[in-house]
Amino acid sequence: MRLIVHNMLTCNIKGVVNKFPLRIEAEKVIKKEVDFNPDFLRHMLAKIEWKALVDGARSMGYTELPDQLESEESYSFLKKFHHALLELHLEEGSLVCQETGRKFPVEKGVPNMLLHEDEV
Amino acid sequence: MKATLAPSSLISLPRHKVSSLRSPSLLIQSQRPSSALMTTMKTASRGSVAVTAAATSSVEALREGIAEFYNETSGLWEEIWGDHMHHGFYDPDSSVQLSDSGHREAQIRMIEESLRFAGVTEEEKKIKRVVDVGCGIGGSSRYIASKFGAECVGITLSPVQAKRANDLAAAQSLSHKVSFQVADALEQPFEDGMFDLVWSMESGEHMPDKAKFVKELVRVAAPGGRIIIVTWCHRNLSQGEEALQPWEQNLLDRICKTFYLPAWCSTSDYVNLLQSLSLQDIKCADWSENVAPFWPAVIRTALTWKGLVSLLRSGMKSIKGALTMPLMIEGYKKGIIKFGIITCQKPL
Repeated sequence: MRLIVHNMLTCNIKGVVNKFPLRIEAEKVIKKEVDFNPDFLRHMLAKIEWKALVDGARSMGYTELPDQLESEESYSFLKKFHHALLELHLEEGSLVCQETGRKFPVEKGVPNMLLHEDEV
Repeated sequence: MKATLAPSSLISLPRHKVSSLRSPSLLIQSQRPSSALMTTMKTASRGSVAVTAAATSSVEALREGIAEFYNETSGLWEEIWGDHMHHGFYDPDSSVQLSDSGHREAQIRMIEESLRFAGVTEEEKKIKRVVDVGCGIGGSSRYIASKFGAECVGITLSPVQAKRANDLAAAQSLSHKVSFQVADALEQPFEDGMFDLVWSMESGEHMPDKAKFVKELVRVAAPGGRIIIVTWCHRNLSQGEEALQPWEQNLLDRICKTFYLPAWCSTSDYVNLLQSLSLQDIKCADWSENVAPFWPAVIRTALTWKGLVSLLRSGMKSIKGALTMPLMIEGYKKGIIKFGIITCQKPL
């Protein structure tokens, strides 16, 4: 699971208010290179929840992202954004609901967001 | 100890109620197990814990059944048919015997015709984010993401499918555009209004609660976004008809068992649901004639040497699935099974 996806996933347990973002507990993170596409990245900057991205990246061991979005979209900034958003893969770990503590497992890079009967 | 049900127990859901849906409230009502059903479940799970536990775990049992079915059969399907797990779209009455690649093209055409029917092709530039509900191994997602340059997320109950879908995306250098998760279409892990296009290609058949399924599709659609549902349905009921004929229902029940389909409804039922949720520009069509060559072609590939060997290797679910395919042909021929498309737009 890459952070571009993590930035979209919410906890869908009934009654939960604080659905997003899910906290990441990383057990295995791998890096996979992806082609650098500045246009795509600039387009994504408008849609990304920045804090969730920064916190998510930190949980996966990457601390280079600035806390605040920079007004100057410098090349080096975009490269860091690119790396965090697209190149870090959570292979094994959990996504944790901030409100309930419920853990959604991530196995072989695939998050499992299925709810139990009593959570619906 | 959780009482797990065999899929056959699910078939005793009051099917006549499910088939004769006229209003969303009826739909929701029919999904609660009747007292007759509770007794059946009690008998089926003799010696295990409370009946209420059995009743509530039926949905989980269905989900597990679907996941296991696709965990087992996806590899086989992909080996023989490739990464699109849906019907091809053909010109009606085309008597030409198509090659394998002809059928593959027909499957691509199904995607294109669906997009065109929904009016999406004219509005390409507006499609930025897509959700593929019941994504299989991601054929539609990767195709649509490439076509529109859009981001696409797919959800499936099968971990095997999700992994394979991600691997194929990586192999096609689409990892930055498409990704796949295990999630329930009835409880999508996304915020309201996320997606410009909500795509459900032949997954509606698996949903035990059609009202909830449609509500979720609508919820995650962005204002102005489009919803496309392509699904197997049963024929529309005539005026005054409360349910399908018993022999028709019997045919569908036999298909349900093997393919883990909990309930059939009609195209009209979907239209009514969408109307009740105030969707706009609701359109539907019967494409049964356009998919007629599909099942005979699937059977032909199953009967090749490669097909038979692969089937035997895959396991019982695959074999049972193959044996059930003639029933699909019978269902289409007798006008019980329809291949429907229903599309609409969420108001701004």
